[in-house]
Amino acid sequence: MASHGLDYDGCNFFRQRLVLSTLSGKRVRIKNIRSKDDNPGLRDFEASFIRLLDKVTNGSRIEINQTGTVLFYQPGLLYGGSVEHECNTQRSIGYYLEALLMLAPFMKTSLKATLKGVTNDHIDPTVDVLKSTALPLMKQFGIDGEGFDLKVVKRGMAPGGGGEVVFICPTRRTMRPVQLTDPGKIKRIRGVAYSVRVSPQMANRLVDTARGVLNKFIPDIYIYTDHMKGANSGKSPGYGLTLVAETMNGSFLSAEMSSTPQGQGDPMLPEDLGKNCAQMLLEEVYRGGCVDSSNQSLALLLMTLGQQDVSKVLLGPLSPHTIEFLRHIRDFFQIMFKIHVQKPSEDERKGGDKVLMTCVGVGYSNINKTLK
Amino acid sequence: MEGKEKEQRKHQQKHSGPKAERKKLKKQGPTTEEDARKRNPKAFAVQSAVRMAKTFHRSQDIKTKKHHIPMVDRTPLEPPPVVIVVMGPPKVGKSTLIRCLIKNFTRQKLGDIVGPVTIVSGKKRRLTFMECNNDINTMIDLAKVADLVLMLIDASFGFEMETFEFLNICQVHGFPRIMGVLTHLDSFKNNKVLRKTKKNLKHRFWTEVYQGAKLFYLSGMVYGEYQTQEVKNLGRFISVMKFRPLVWQTSHPYVLADRMEDLTDPETVRKDPKCDRTVSLYGYLRGTYLKNKGQVHIPGVGDFQVADVNFLPDPCALPAAQKKRALNEKERLLYAPMAGVGGVVYDKDAVYIDLPASHVHQQQEEVRPTTELVQSLIDTHSTLDAKMAASKVSLFSGSANLVPSDFGEGSGEKGGPQEESVWDPNTQRERRKVVFAEEDKDKEEEEDGDDDDDDDDDDDEEEESGSSDDEEGDNEDSDQEEEDEKEDKDKDNLSKFLKVARAKSDVTLEPSAPPVKKQKVENKNKEQQEQSGELPAFADSEDELEVSEEEKESGEEAGRAGDSGHCSEEDEEDGEEESEDESMEEDAADATMKSGSEEEEEEEEELGALKWKDGLQQKASEAFLRQQAAIPNLRKLVYGSVVAADDSEEEEEELGGLFRVSRPQKSKRFRADAVDCSRFTPDSAHNWDLEEMLNSIRDCFVTGKWEEGQDAATLLKEDEELYGDFEDLETGQIHKTKPGDQAEDNENDEDDDDEKEESLVKVDEDVTLKTKRLEKKQRLKERFDTEYDDGDATYFDDLKEELQKQAELNRAEFQDVDDETRVQYEGFRPGMYVRIEIPSLPCEFVTNFDPHYPIILGGLASAEGNVGYLQMRLKKHRWYNRILKTRDPLILSLGWRRFQTIPLYHIEDHNGRHRLLKYTPQHMHCGASIWGPVTPQGTGFLALQTVAGIKANFRIAATGVVLDLDKSVTVVKKLKLIGYPYKIFKNTSFIKGMFNTVLEVAKFEGASIRTVSGVRGQIKKALSTPAGAYRATFEDRLLMSDVVFLRSWFPVTVPQLYNPVTSLLLPVSQKDGWAGMRTLGQLKHDLGIRNKPNTDSLYKPVVRAPRHFNRLHIPKELQKALPFKSKLKQQQPKGKTPRDLQRPTVIREPHEKKVAALLNALSQVHHHKRKKAHTAQHAKHKEFLQEKGKQEEAKLKRQKEARKKLYKTMGQTDQKNQRSSLKGGPKDD
Repeated sequence: MASHGLDYDGCNFFRQRLVLSTLSGKRVRIKNIRSKDDNPGLRDFEASFIRLLDKVTNGSRIEINQTGTVLFYQPGLLYGGSVEHECNTQRSIGYYLEALLMLAPFMKTSLKATLKGVTNDHIDPTVDVLKSTALPLMKQFGIDGEGFDLKVVKRGMAPGGGGEVVFICPTRRTMRPVQLTDPGKIKRIRGVAYSVRVSPQMANRLVDTARGVLNKFIPDIYIYTDHMKGANSGKSPGYGLTLVAETMNGSFLSAEMSSTPQGQGDPMLPEDLGKNCAQMLLEEVYRGGCVDSSNQSLALLLMTLGQQDVSKVLLGPLSPHTIEFLRHIRDFFQIMFKIHVQKPSEDERKGGDKVLMTCVGVGYSNINKTLK
Repeated sequence: MEGKEKEQRKHQQKHSGPKAERKKLKKQGPTTEEDARKRNPKAFAVQSAVRMAKTFHRSQDIKTKKHHIPMVDRTPLEPPPVVIVVMGPPKVGKSTLIRCLIKNFTRQKLGDIVGPVTIVSGKKRRLTFMECNNDINTMIDLAKVADLVLMLIDASFGFEMETFEFLNICQVHGFPRIMGVLTHLDSFKNNKVLRKTKKNLKHRFWTEVYQGAKLFYLSGMVYGEYQTQEVKNLGRFISVMKFRPLVWQTSHPYVLADRMEDLTDPETVRKDPKCDRTVSLYGYLRGTYLKNKGQVHIPGVGDFQVADVNFLPDPCALPAAQKKRALNEKERLLYAPMAGVGGVVYDKDAVYIDLPASHVHQQQEEVRPTTELVQSLIDTHSTLDAKMAASKVSLFSGSANLVPSDFGEGSGEKGGPQEESVWDPNTQRERRKVVFAEEDKDKEEEEDGDDDDDDDDDDDEEEESGSSDDEEGDNEDSDQEEEDEKEDKDKDNLSKFLKVARAKSDVTLEPSAPPVKKQKVENKNKEQQEQSGELPAFADSEDELEVSEEEKESGEEAGRAGDSGHCSEEDEEDGEEESEDESMEEDAADATMKSGSEEEEEEEEELGALKWKDGLQQKASEAFLRQQAAIPNLRKLVYGSVVAADDSEEEEEELGGLFRVSRPQKSKRFRADAVDCSRFTPDSAHNWDLEEMLNSIRDCFVTGKWEEGQDAATLLKEDEELYGDFEDLETGQIHKTKPGDQAEDNENDEDDDDEKEESLVKVDEDVTLKTKRLEKKQRLKERFDTEYDDGDATYFDDLKEELQKQAELNRAEFQDVDDETRVQYEGFRPGMYVRIEIPSLPCEFVTNFDPHYPIILGGLASAEGNVGYLQMRLKKHRWYNRILKTRDPLILSLGWRRFQTIPLYHIEDHNGRHRLLKYTPQHMHCGASIWGPVTPQGTGFLALQTVAGIKANFRIAATGVVLDLDKSVTVVKKLKLIGYPYKIFKNTSFIKGMFNTVLEVAKFEGASIRTVSGVRGQIKKALSTPAGAYRATFEDRLLMSDVVFLRSWFPVTVPQLYNPVTSLLLPVSQKDGWAGMRTLGQLKHDLGIRNKPNTDSLYKPVVRAPRHFNRLHIPKELQKALPFKSKLKQQQPKGKTPRDLQRPTVIREPHEKKVAALLNALSQVHHHKRKKAHTAQHAKHKEFLQEKGKQEEAKLKRQKEARKKLYKTMGQTDQKNQRSSLKGGPKDD
């Protein structure tokens, strides 16, 4: 009776598979997880992710073999409610939050997740970036309302962690189809320069250099400095910069960088970091599109889960993560995107090639939500 | 009397006078209302603000009630045929009606109606008729797919339960359009009764459907058919009817299968007759997009994974040209493979068709509708076989040459007509024809022979013989035309070299007869074959082999070429992507292989050419180029070149069954365990210190250059144009816009303001200016429109407009993509004729196949294949005469499914607790929890206690709606734990007997308890001995006799029974006899088990012993004190009469004795005399009375006569008077 499952190899794109499995109700079996590795099986952060998934769902079945190289996941129903999770510090909260962003609108009750761990590191998108790019993106799809928010309560830098984030998301029955074909021009740049357990001056130095680069383009730049102290500052020192460019049509492009974690690699001068980060934002602008490169898959997922209408979104070049995500969407939902490359015209100076993604939604409706 | 009917006086209209004037005024028109307002302003003044508010409120309410939530219009451009379900009780005339309607639309007579019948009813509409028998399973299934229900009612009998049951089913599963049809109206002899019955039925029908629902009357039969005019009217109604979208239907794809083929290998069936079957089902796709490899539910069978979906050419296509007014004969198609029309015999694995021999010579263009039907059948069938052939080819790629020939032979053996040529208005006509097998010809000949018997066919033959020459000529022309068309239309994107080949073949063909014709002739007799020797013998199987072989080669070559090309492309890609590409390469190769084989398939059908062999290289390269152009690189990168990725994997796995091809998958390995991160590392090639890099994104910022239309300057200008002109009212000054603009404006009027003309840019740019002006006008208009409408625009209007836009976008987006790719993007769209292949169906489905029962393939959304707990709101149907019991199995119809399950009924308490109920309430909703298939919330369901036969008088037991899905249940039942105090100290007591262990007590610490007498308390702490005892405090001192109880709630588990009703798998005549799990009551009844009742509850005979009362004893003392009245009297013993009261007896003397005797005798005599006299007197009186009566009678008679006489005379005088007055009247005047 239960719908047939899917088999995968290897631990890569682990979150995509589990998230899509949860949303589609198809069970999934992942084999050969680091089977050739010296330290085979699931890592702690993956286990932690599974535990988080277990917390937000009801009735899911998870089986892991002795060595941890085979995972069987039969999804339950997304339950939501108040969830508190201690995220493993190997990966930052962004790792967990990205998956939650995809699941949260389809819960039974609105989700209030308190995630504890590393808020900012240099591998995953940080919570600041997700807050400033993913949330407005989700609003485009009709996910909005009371308390739709992502709050950074405490900031915890890389190896130690100790940060805390509260994510509240209302539920929706259906997604609205979107036509995000014109990103518009960038009207302002905002940012956050944060520092914990280091001199507050660091943030100012970040801001100065970043402004120096960006001022060539636009005068409307404001970068907040955010220095957290005491209990709110987590366990490790560090600093970093998040930049977000907002366009006329309400799309957000972002770039970020944070200092190398304490005791890992060479420390970085705040000036260099600021400059690099600003240049990364320029790179992001060069890529362009209506959606930030790290949120491409979120946008595509919400398009897929829309009504049976045509949705369009203009993206920059597809990231490898997105490409794999598209394949996974085809596996789980039998949806293929029409991919059309838009080359910039000769006289335009708007960065590189853009990709117009078009799809017809599956007509997904939130089967978890209770009808009153 | 009757003949002399008086002519009624006609109404004479007044032409003058006040009445006429009033009428004239009224006619003059609408001013009257205004006049009334003017004339009588008080009457229209606001009398009461409250009432006005109320009326306004009400009118607004009514207005809003008319709104429906707007939905995006997702109806496809070419919608699927409308499903018309004809239902009604037995012997009401369902089949007759269908037959009549079909005859009305297509001018064809259909023998017996079996399965769905599809016809083209108009330029834009097709209809599928489906008869619904009285099995409740069928009724439920068909109600789910119906667009329109023709509900037949026997008027001579009245409504039957089936009708109401069906209406209720419809209400639950979304209400399709329902039209009532009254039949058997000719059985009424009395006109008045007829009218009355009609009215009664109509009103009852209205209450059930809606006020004013259409009810049709079919007044009588003429030669076993309904009257033509009435049927025609009904047909008109049907063909203009609009349908509302139903939620379930629009959100799920579904197919009402009109054809079924068993694809199982006959050998495996022979070995194991009970093996699972692979079956392909055909039908129009309806509802919404169907994804390949999805899950479907077949009601009555179960859930299945779809192995493959293909779309086929429409067997019952709408006419191509839309300009004509009416359909011509050719376009009135009919398609009913299950019905066995026109010599079609439906077999379980093939359709056999008898075509008369005369048809061999017949022109394909001028076939009669029946043959068209047949051919459309054959057409689709041939595609199937082609598919099968293709699959075989791909399986044994090494020995590909053999398979087509085998296939040819095989097809010759069994499904002869499959390969037969087909009249098809679409592009693929020629191809089909060529794939003829010889068997078919024979069959056709036979058929023709049969047809000869028919009178009609003689004409045809004549026609055909006459026009055969013409046809040849036509065909030549049309061939080329079609070729041209193909280039545009061809769905499969024929490669260029194919086209070249075809062109060549055309060249060769042109001097001779058209290929189709040739073929037939060829196959018919050898001489003709020789005659056509000039032609390439492409129908020959050996040639076919050659062709396929070569094709294969070319395909492979193309594949290889594709690879190399791909590699070159690859260099442009990033290193990361490169690795992916490598893995994709294989897929690409496979895919091209496949496409090659597809082409081959096409070629088989085409088979027009032999000379295409030369220049293979060039053609291959062309093919490659075409492919390159067709598939964009990025898409290839993401999805692989074709969607055949899965297949290729399978091939890798299964090669030869034993061996596996091991291919190095370094890249894949590398990817398998990489870091899972969504961040996209920036391209190191970009150096953002360089000025040119910075310049490359300048325009992304507001500070950069803007587009023409959005430039600040142009916008400003526009604004000025709009608002520049104004007149200062205070000063009277008129401000004008800049002269340039003015000129632009005035140019229209061709003013001769020379100064301004000078300022114009140039005269040459007239055209551009014109367009600009037009644009500007448009903009202005738009702006005006938006501003003007803004006041009226409501949220509703906005929403509607938005959805309208979305609908347009949906239509436009994939319009120009060819079907093959389009299907990949959006799935198979409704309206397509699809073939769905389902593996591993139970063999009973095939062996017990009965086309009278509908086969529905209901598509399931992603999560709907799972099972879980469902919470639903349920209400026992008010017509069902029993209440339902918790844990009695119930059959639900929910979504596509019918299944048996065990519900628990519950009701929600005020605190949100779900309390278990033993029975459903009589007239109230209650909750029900079941274990069943996950179905979206808001889906309606209905419940039956049994689907077998008709036992209950109304079969629908309950209806309801799904509220919630969950993986756990929250239903609880009340549990009272009882304990007894064994020690009491003031308000504290020790209580035992409630629990068994300390642990149990610990769990309930702090719980509130109560005694029967109402003293409340709390559990404090467990005691060590005795086990399970605890200390509790109460608000008052307990007694040892008190019983303490703890009220608790015990969670109940819902039994996990999900038992699909597999009614379609039952033997042919017993399909309505499905019996699932029995209820406990039924089981006991069937097995004759009776509960042993509690002896105390038994009734015993009432034995009443006669009551014996003791004597009343009153003490002597009391007796003495009593008054005399109350003293007991009887009890005084009767004593002897005292002596003083005793009297002496008298003894007479003898004399005295004599005297006494005499006196006695005398008195005796006297007495006798008196008696005698009395009787005499009595008789006399009687006589007297009689006499008197007679006299009286006579007197009355006399009086009556006298009176009569008197009246007579009086009347006469009266009359005389009257007459005289009448006579006298006019004289006087």
